[in-house]
Amino acid sequence: MQTEDTDRQDQEIQALLKDYPMPQATATFYDRALARATHESTRRQRKRWVMTGFASAVAAGLALWLIGGFFLATPILPDADPGIPGITMTLEEPRTVNLMFASATALDAAMLTVTLPDGIELAGFPGQRVITWQTSLSKGKNLLPLELIAVSPVGGEVLARLEHKDRDRTFRLRIDVS
Amino acid sequence: MAETNDTFERLVRPHFDRLYRLAWRLAGGKADAEDLFQELLIKAYGRLDELVKIDEPGSWLCRVMYNLFIDERRRFARRRLHTVEEGQMAGDGLAGIPGVEDPLLDRERWEKIRALDAALSQLSDEHRIVVLLHDTEGYKLEEIHGITGIPVGTVKSRLHRARVRLREILTQNGTFS
Repeated sequence: MQTEDTDRQDQEIQALLKDYPMPQATATFYDRALARATHESTRRQRKRWVMTGFASAVAAGLALWLIGGFFLATPILPDADPGIPGITMTLEEPRTVNLMFASATALDAAMLTVTLPDGIELAGFPGQRVITWQTSLSKGKNLLPLELIAVSPVGGEVLARLEHKDRDRTFRLRIDVS
Repeated sequence: MAETNDTFERLVRPHFDRLYRLAWRLAGGKADAEDLFQELLIKAYGRLDELVKIDEPGSWLCRVMYNLFIDERRRFARRRLHTVEEGQMAGDGLAGIPGVEDPLLDRERWEKIRALDAALSQLSDEHRIVVLLHDTEGYKLEEIHGITGIPVGTVKSRLHRARVRLREILTQNGTFS
């Protein structure tokens, strides 16, 4: 039931929403965005042509394989999602991956959980799939170096989940092993 | 090619400010909003043949942006890992907006806007977007329907629920005594 108080609060919320700051682009953003759009669109069209050619080549290769009956052992990789950034690692060769977190404010006692796929290990934590620790973030960019080692050729996805109070964000990184 | 680019720019540039703000309201922060804006332009450029035949390119662009956001919001939410320059944690949607330290806003009011920002981040995307488009950006219910495809009745009920939820949050956290 609406009371005088809730009516007043509703009015105040609406007034606050009206005052909620209006974002504005920087002076050069629109020009850069336009330039990138025309360039990227052309590049993607070109890539589509290349991919079509590649798919045809794969199909031809597959047909040859079926006829020849050869067996080629290749690592099984998860389906690639083009939206997820990825790296290729060499088996047994440590590689440092820098995760960048940006925060508008300094955050104390944030919880970071790294979940590793089978076959990828974090240096210093052999055999552990989930590693959690508490960290603090400074205002601005924060770089977290993770030294990863591929111990099998399978690859997969590394998940890094950052939690602070009731907020959280998960990052994904696809790892292929060559 | 130069002529194509000119045509594209002529059609889209007049709507940039509106689209930029819409991107921000949808995505909730600068880095994701600029990604979304950029993706829209790339997509629109690829559909230039369609765009030139449209009577109201602004509304069409808003719809495409909304659909792009819905289709790819999970992807946009994950992108920070490799593209972040000025990103923020969810709920810091005020960061990066010019004028946030506006001396004309008294401290108490500014604190309330910050509390509102945090409360908005606790709403579902569906509720947050509707309340921001209607109460902040001034879109009419019909216009929101035009952009999102959500029936007007549903927009109205989401708006109501969003306002009620905001009031609850702001009361619980002591902003409203």
